[in-house]
Amino acid sequence: MTDPELSNRRLTEAGVQEDLQRQPHLFVRLAENALTVAESLRGNYFKNTATFIAALRKAVANARQGRRNDPILEVHAVPETSWADVQDEVVTFIDGGVGQVQLASQVPILLRVGSYRVRTGERRLSEREQFGYYPVILGDLEGGSKERKDFIDIVRITAELLAGLAALERTPDLRVLMFHGPLTYLVGSYAGHMPFTEQDIDLFLRQYAQDAHIALALKEEFLQQAHLDIYPKMTKRPDEWARQKLFEPLAFIAFLLRQLRDRARQRRVPTLIVGVVERGGLRELSETVLLERVFRGLRQKGNGDYFNRMYGRTDLSTPKALLDRLGYTDSLLIAMLLEPGQYSESWSISKFDGLRRGEVALPGLAGEETVNFEALKPGPFGFPRIRGCYLHVSEITEPVRIEVFDELADADYLEAIVRRVYLYSRLLPGYGFPVGLDIADKYAHIPAWLTNAYSKLIRYHLGISLQQGEISDAEMRRVLVQAIYMTHRDWLFRPEP
Amino acid sequence: MATSRSNRMLPNPQSPVAPAAPPGYVGTIVGESTSREFRLAVAQEAIREQDLIAVDAELRPTDGQGPPEMIRVWAKVQRIERLNPLFPSEAGHELAATRTNPFETVLSLSREMVTAVCQVLGAEPRGSNPRGKLDQLRYPPQPASSVYRPGSEDMARVVLGELAQRTNRALDIATLSNRPEVSVSVDGHAIVTRHLAILAMTGAGKSWTSRRIIEQLAQKNYPIVIFDPHGDYTGLADVPTLKQRVRRYCAQFPLFDEDADAVAKIVSALGYELSPTMQGRFGDVFGAASRFINVDGAELASRVDWLAERLGKEHLRKNGIEPNMWLIANLAEAGELVLRAEDDDSRNLLVEWGWEDFGKYSKRDIGTLEAIKKRAYKAARVLQTMEQTNRKIARSAEPLPTDRKELVRYGGISVIALAGYTGDFQATIYSLIANDLFQARVQEELKLPVLLVLEEAHNFVPGRANTPAEERSITTTKQIAQEGRKFGIGLVMISQRPSRLDETTLSQCNSYIIMRLVNPADQNFVRKVIESLGEDEARLLPDLDVGEALLSGQLINFPVLVRIKPPESKGEREEEDAFKTLEDTYRSLQ
Repeated sequence: MTDPELSNRRLTEAGVQEDLQRQPHLFVRLAENALTVAESLRGNYFKNTATFIAALRKAVANARQGRRNDPILEVHAVPETSWADVQDEVVTFIDGGVGQVQLASQVPILLRVGSYRVRTGERRLSEREQFGYYPVILGDLEGGSKERKDFIDIVRITAELLAGLAALERTPDLRVLMFHGPLTYLVGSYAGHMPFTEQDIDLFLRQYAQDAHIALALKEEFLQQAHLDIYPKMTKRPDEWARQKLFEPLAFIAFLLRQLRDRARQRRVPTLIVGVVERGGLRELSETVLLERVFRGLRQKGNGDYFNRMYGRTDLSTPKALLDRLGYTDSLLIAMLLEPGQYSESWSISKFDGLRRGEVALPGLAGEETVNFEALKPGPFGFPRIRGCYLHVSEITEPVRIEVFDELADADYLEAIVRRVYLYSRLLPGYGFPVGLDIADKYAHIPAWLTNAYSKLIRYHLGISLQQGEISDAEMRRVLVQAIYMTHRDWLFRPEP
Repeated sequence: MATSRSNRMLPNPQSPVAPAAPPGYVGTIVGESTSREFRLAVAQEAIREQDLIAVDAELRPTDGQGPPEMIRVWAKVQRIERLNPLFPSEAGHELAATRTNPFETVLSLSREMVTAVCQVLGAEPRGSNPRGKLDQLRYPPQPASSVYRPGSEDMARVVLGELAQRTNRALDIATLSNRPEVSVSVDGHAIVTRHLAILAMTGAGKSWTSRRIIEQLAQKNYPIVIFDPHGDYTGLADVPTLKQRVRRYCAQFPLFDEDADAVAKIVSALGYELSPTMQGRFGDVFGAASRFINVDGAELASRVDWLAERLGKEHLRKNGIEPNMWLIANLAEAGELVLRAEDDDSRNLLVEWGWEDFGKYSKRDIGTLEAIKKRAYKAARVLQTMEQTNRKIARSAEPLPTDRKELVRYGGISVIALAGYTGDFQATIYSLIANDLFQARVQEELKLPVLLVLEEAHNFVPGRANTPAEERSITTTKQIAQEGRKFGIGLVMISQRPSRLDETTLSQCNSYIIMRLVNPADQNFVRKVIESLGEDEARLLPDLDVGEALLSGQLINFPVLVRIKPPESKGEREEEDAFKTLEDTYRSLQ
C-alpha cells in the first residue's frame, strides 16, 4: 500500500482493529475493560471502540487537513530533532526510590532520591556526569502522619523537589530539569498530614544544599511567607503555627514548586522543567477537552444520542458518563488516536479540586484542628498551575504525559520540552520513557541487600525486646510476634477458638 | 544534594581508622571469597588478566592460643568482567541503528563496575620465605581486604620458588607476560627426566621455544638428539656458543633392518601394487639381496662384477652397491635375465649367494621377476629422491652412524634431518634410532642420559596408527614416555596438532608449554589431557600472542602466562618476505 492508502486505511474501523492487533498492550487494556463494563456494553466492546476511534481519527485528520474548522483535538508532530541539536546542554534527571522491609507487611523505611546530571557532548567523563543521592531514614522524621500509607509519598515529593531546587541552584546553565512522575500530584488526597517540624526540614535541607546559608535562606523565606500570607488563610492559629515553626507539608510543597518556577523563569533562557508520567490514570483530557468537543459537535448536528444508539443505552449522554461506563482513560484513547512521534494539544490540568477543609493533628498536641486547604489553590501563595500534554513515543508503548508550569508554557517552551522528551525516550523504544529518568531510577534504587539488612536488624531488636520481656502489653506482644515470625503458614493466624 | 564526589559516610568516631591502601593497590575483595577463588572490585584499569596479585591476611590458630599468623595470599587474575549497569542494551542497539555517538546523548557512561575473578595460588608467611614456596590456603581471605600488585622481586621469588636456590637446574626461557621485568626460569630437571610437551598452532612460536630450551640445556652440557622433519634446527650450528657442539646427520632409510613384508609394502606404496604372486616371490628377492651384500672384500667385488656384467651396468662396478632398493631391483632383474637365458651356471651362483629357492624357479617366474623389477626400480627412484632431498636440506650433514650411541655426547646436540622423507619413513627412522638408544641405556651400554626432541610429534606418536611404521613408532615412544625416567631418557614432544597425538603418551608428560591454539578440537583435547589446565586458562588459548605461552606442570611452581625469550639460533625456515625473495631471485637471473 502507498502512504496515502495506508493513511486512509488508518481512518477505517478495519484499520483501527489492525492497529490494535499490532499493539498487544492496548489490546489487553481493552480486554480488561471489556470484562469490567456492564454486560450490555460487553458484547460489541471492541467493534464499537474501533468504530469510535475511527471516527475520532477521521475528525482529527480532517481538522489537520483543513477540512474541518472545529478540531476535536489538535495533534502535532514532534519536529525532527537529532542529538546534534541539543549538544552542550546540561540536563538533570530526578527520581526517588523507596526501600521497604517485610515485617507483617511491606513497611517503607528508607527513601533515596537520586539525581543524574549530564552534559551532552562532553567527552571528559568527570566533567560530563555527576550523580547525587542521599538516603532518608523515615524513622528520623518527627512530622508527617506515619500511620498513613501516603506518608512516604509526602516525604518523597518534598525530597525530590528539594533535589530539583538544589540542581537549579548548583547549575547556572541547567537547561532541562526532568522529574519522574507528575510535576504536581493530585494534592487533595495528601491533605491532613501532621506538619513537619523544623528539625525535619533541617534534616532535608542539610542534605540538599551545599551552602548552609542557602538552606537557611530557603527555610526562612518559607516561614515568613507562611507566617504572613499562607497560614492566616489556612488556620485560626497562624501565629501558633509560626511560633512552633511548623511546616505544613502541602504548603511547603507548594512553596517549593513556586520556587522552582520562579527561579527557572529568572534565567536568561528559562530552564525547561518537566514531569514525565508513565502509565497515568487520568481521564481529564478526554473528559474535559476531547469528548466535550465531540459531544458538542454531535449536539450541533442533532446527534446527541449517538453513543446511546451505538451501545443501546440511554445514559451515555455526557463525557463523564461515557468514560465511566466504558472505562476509557486518556492514555488509552490517546494511544489509539496519536501515531508515534505525535503529541496532543496541551490543557490546564485540574490538580487541586480535592483541596478542601480537613482535620490536622499538630506535633506534641492532643486533638486536631480544622485547616482550610483551599488556600493552597493556584494563587500567589498556592500551587502553581500545571499544563499537560500527551506524547506518543513508540507503537509498542503507552503515551507519556508531560507536565510543565502553566506560566512558563508558551508554545515554544512546550515544543522544546516535547522534542527533548521524545529524543531521550527514543533511546528506549521498548519502554518509551526518557532514558535519563531510567538511569536516575536505577541509581536511586535501594538494593535488596540494604533493606534485607535493615529487616534483619529490626527483627533482631524486636525479638530481643520480646525475649527480655520489655513489652508487657499482651496485645502488643501478639502483634510483635506476628510481625517478627509471620510466615504464610503461620499458626498464629488460625482462628481463635 | 550530597554528590557522589562529596558523599562520604562520616567515620564513626568509635571505630578504628582504616589503614591506607597499600602501595600497588589494585582493588578490594567483594562478595563471597573461598580458599580457591575470590572476586575483586578493581580500581580503574589497575590490572590485566593473568596478573599475579596478593592480599595480606591474618590467621588465628584454631585453638585460640598464640599470636595470629601473618600471611600473604597469592592469586592470579583469571578473568575481568566489566559492566555498566546504567547503560541499557536497548539504548545501545538504538545508538548502533542511528550511528550515534553515546557521548552526544544523555546516556551514562561513567558508572562502570569492573570485577576480577581471581584464582588463589597459595599462601606464604609474610616477611620471610626465601624459597618462595606457597602453601595451600585453607581459609578464605577476608572480604573488603585490599589487594595489591607485589614488587618484581617478590614476584620473581614466588614464580621461581625453589629454583632460585637450585640455579643449576634453572633454564632461563621467558618473562612474565604482563611484567616483562620479571624473568621466569623453569626446572630443567623436570623437563629432561619427566618429559615436556610443547603444543601450539603453526606460527605461534613453538620451534622458537624449543630452540630456546635446547640452547639453555646445551649450556648445561645435556646431550640432546633432535629429530628434525623440516629443518627447523639447522641454524643451531650457527650459534657461536654451540658451534662445536652441533652435528647434523642426514638419514638413510635402513631398508634391510626391515622385514620382507614391510619392504614389499613400501614397494607397493612407492611403485605399483605387488600382486599376491609377486609378493610371494618378493620375499625371496629381498632375502637374496640382503645375503648378496652381506660379504666383504674380494667376494663382494666379485659378486658386483658379476652383477654389472649380467645387467650391463658398468656404473655398478665403478660405484659399488649399497644395501638399498636399487640392489633389490638389480637382483630381480638379474634373476629375470638368468631365467630368460636359461643360464644354469648363473642360477647356481645365485643360489650359492643366498637366493635359496631360485633353483626351483621356472620360466613362469620370468614375468613375476620382471614385474618386481619394474616396481622395485620405481620405488628405488622415489627413495633416492627422498634421500637426495634429505641430504640437500641437511646441507653439510654426515651420514647417521651405525653405532647410534655416537649420537649421544656430553654437551653435544645431534640433529637428525628427516626432511625429504614421507611420514612413514620418518617414523621408521625415528623409532629404530630411539629404540636403539633406549635399549643401549637399558643394557647400560650407553652411559650418558639423553633428551630426545620430536618435532611434529603427532607424526611419530599419532593417536591412532594407520600403518605398521606408525604402530612401531607409537610403541617405542610410549615405552620411553613410561619408562624413560628410570633409564635417563627424556622426551620433548612438539606438535601443532595435539588432538592427533596419542593421549596416553601426552599424559605421561609432566610439563607443558602451551601456546596459541585456535582449533577447537586441539583446545578440547588439551583441556582433557592436561589436568593442571583450568577453564579460564583454556579460554586464553586462541588469543595468545605469538611467543606467549602458558607454562604448566612440574617445570614451574604454578601455571603462569609468559613471553618466551628469543633463541640465539635461527631455523632454516625463518620466513623471508616472499616477494622480496622473488625480486632478488629474478635479479640474479638477469
